[in-house]
Amino acid sequence: MRLPEFVRTTTFRWTLAVAGAFVLCVVVLFGFVYWQTATYMTSTFDALLTGELQIIAADSPERRLTQIDNRLRNDPRRVRITGLFAADGHRITGNLESVPPGLVPDVPANATIVRLDNGGREREKVRVVARTLQGGEVLVIGRNVDEIAQIADIVRRGLALGLLPALGLALVIGWVLSSRAQDRLSEVNRKIQRIAAGDLRERLPTHGGNDPFDQLAVSVNRMLGEIETLIQEIAGIGDNIAHDLRTPLTRVRVRLERGRERAQTLEELRTVVDQSIAGLDQSLTIITALLRIAEIEHSRRLEGISEVSLVPLVREAGDLYEPIAEDKSVTLKVEATEDTTVRGDRDLLFEAIANLVDNAVKFTPAGGRVELSLLRRGGESVVRVSDTGPGIPETERDAVTKRFYRSDKSRRTEGLGLGLSLVAAIVKLHGFRFNITTGPGCAAEIVFPRAH
Amino acid sequence: MMSTPEMAPRNWLMARLLLIEDDKETAEEIRAELGDRGFDVDWAANGIEGLDKARSGEAEAIIMDRLLPGMDGLTIIEALRQEGTRTPVLVLSALGAVDDRIRGLRAGGDDYLTKPFATGELIARIEALLRRPAEIRDTVLRVGPLELDLIERTAKRGDRSIDLLPREFRLLEYMMRRKDQMLTRAMLLEEVWRYKFVPQTNLVDVHMGRLRRKVDEPNEPPMIHNVRGMGFILRAPA
Repeated sequence: MRLPEFVRTTTFRWTLAVAGAFVLCVVVLFGFVYWQTATYMTSTFDALLTGELQIIAADSPERRLTQIDNRLRNDPRRVRITGLFAADGHRITGNLESVPPGLVPDVPANATIVRLDNGGREREKVRVVARTLQGGEVLVIGRNVDEIAQIADIVRRGLALGLLPALGLALVIGWVLSSRAQDRLSEVNRKIQRIAAGDLRERLPTHGGNDPFDQLAVSVNRMLGEIETLIQEIAGIGDNIAHDLRTPLTRVRVRLERGRERAQTLEELRTVVDQSIAGLDQSLTIITALLRIAEIEHSRRLEGISEVSLVPLVREAGDLYEPIAEDKSVTLKVEATEDTTVRGDRDLLFEAIANLVDNAVKFTPAGGRVELSLLRRGGESVVRVSDTGPGIPETERDAVTKRFYRSDKSRRTEGLGLGLSLVAAIVKLHGFRFNITTGPGCAAEIVFPRAH
Repeated sequence: MMSTPEMAPRNWLMARLLLIEDDKETAEEIRAELGDRGFDVDWAANGIEGLDKARSGEAEAIIMDRLLPGMDGLTIIEALRQEGTRTPVLVLSALGAVDDRIRGLRAGGDDYLTKPFATGELIARIEALLRRPAEIRDTVLRVGPLELDLIERTAKRGDRSIDLLPREFRLLEYMMRRKDQMLTRAMLLEEVWRYKFVPQTNLVDVHMGRLRRKVDEPNEPPMIHNVRGMGFILRAPA
C-alpha cells in the first residue's frame, strides 16, 4: 500500500515521534499519580480499620454491642461495615450478612460483601479486617472503598480531557521543530547543489548561533574558501603557462609560414625546420620546468634525505659552470672553506645551487663577475651567488621570493628564469630560506638555519 | 667542421622490444619510429597483457607508459623483478622523477624518460639499455688509440699524453664505457653530473667542446662526434 506523500516526509515522521513520546509521558505520569494516591488511601483505611477493630475487640461483650451500634449510627455516608458473628457463623449484630470467606485474622483485605441496611441486599466492594474474639465470636470491621475507584475515575477523566490538547500541542511543537531542522537541511542542500554545479562563491547559511549546525556550516564555509583560493591560484598558473608557451609557439608558427613561402632549396627548408624544432624544444623545456616545480612544490616530504656536506656541493657546482663562465669571459669565483652539513636531499640541493649559478652566469655580461660562496653569518650557513648583472628591481624582489613563477611581473623580467622558481620550490620544501638582495648586481642566497 | 655521421650504428637490427602503452596513437608513432630504426616492436595496450608478454621473456627491452589504465607501470616492474625477469625497462611518463620509487628504478639499472620527448632521445636510451654491458672491471679503458688509466688517472691518445681536469676525466670515462653509443645531452647531464634540470646555458656543449679539443687534435681523425640535434658519440677512428 502506498502511503500519502506527506506521511513519508521526514517532518511528518519527526512530528509523530515527538507527539508519541509526549503522550506516553503523560499517560505514565497520570498512572503514577493514580497508583500513589490509591496506595496511600488504602493504607490510611487499613490503619483506621485495624485501630477500630482493636478498640471494639478490647471492650466487654455488652459494650461491644453498643460500640457496634454507635459505629453504624454515626455513619451518614453509609460507608462503614461492621458485623459480629457467633462461632457457628450466625449473625449476632451489624449490617453484614456473613463473614467474607478467606480472611486472615488482623490482616486487611479486599472483599465483596452483601450489605443488609441499605434498603435491601446489596453487594459492594469493601476493605475488611476480622478477628476471632475470646468467646469464639468473629468481629468484622470494614469500609467502602468506592472513593478509590472515584479517584481512578477522576484521573481517567483528567487524562482524557488533558490528553487531547497535550497531543495537539505536541504535534504543533514537533512540527515546528522538525520543519525548522528540515528547512535548514534543505537550504543547505540547495546551496551545496549550487556549489556542486560550479558556483564556488556560494556559502552555507549561518544563523550567528553556536549550535552544531552553525559550527558545521562555518567549517564547510572555511573549506570552501580554501578551495576557491586554490582554484583561483591554479587558474592563474594556467594563464601564466599559456602565456609562456604562446610566445615561443607563435614564433615557431611564423617561422614555419615564412619558410613555406620563401624557402627556395631543400637546405633552406631544413634550416627553417631545425629552427622550428629548437623553438618547440624551448616550449617543452618550459613545460618540463613548470611540471618539475609543481612536483617539488607538491611533495609533502623529502624522500632521499641525508646529511649533505655543503663544501663539495658548492665546489661541484662551481666546477660545472667554470668553463661556461670562461667561455663568456665572466669570472667565476668559488669560495667554500668552512664546511657544514645540512639535512636534505643532495640532488635537489645541488640542483638549487647549480640553478643559481646557471642564472647568474647567463645574465652577467662579458667581463663581469660571479661569486659563489659558502659563508657563515650569525650562526647560519649561507650559500650566496652574487653577480654583476642587471639585478632585480627592489619592487619586484618581494614578489619574487614569495611565489616565483606566479608573479607575472617577475616572469617577464629579463634575468628571472624559471630556474629561480625551481630554487624557491626546493628551498621551501627543505624549510630553508631563500633571499634575493643586492650584490653589485643581484645576490641570491640560500640560508640554512642553525636547526638543520 | 666535424663530420656528422648518421645515427648510432644499426647493429640492433631486429632487436625485439615490448611497448606497453595504452594510447593507440602514441603507440603507433613510437612503433613506426622504432621500426624505421630496425627494431621489432611488439605492442601491449594494457598492463595485464603487457605483464604476460614481458613474462614470456622474448623482448630484449621494455618501453612502458607509467600510467596505464588501472595500474601503475612501476607495479608491473616490481612484479617482473620479483619473478626474476631482468629485462631492462624504459619508463615513459608525463610525471617528473622526484619520487623515491623512480630513484630506486634508476638505481636498479633501468631508465626513465619524461614525456614529451624527442624520438632521438628515446632511441638513444633504448640503445643504452640494450648495450648495458656487464660491469667492466678493467682498470684501463681503451677505445682505438685512446687509453684511460683509472688507477693512475691518466689519459693517452697513441703516444700523446692528454692532460685532463677531474671533471673532464669523469666525462671521458663515461663516454669510453659507452663507446659507439649515442649519448644525449640529457643523458650526460643526468649520469655524469646528476643534474636533472634543463640548464639555460649550453652546459654540455661547453664541457664537450673542452674535452674534444684535448682528445681530437687538429691533425688527428676525430673520435668525438657531434650528431646535430641529438648528442655525442665516441668512436674509434675508422
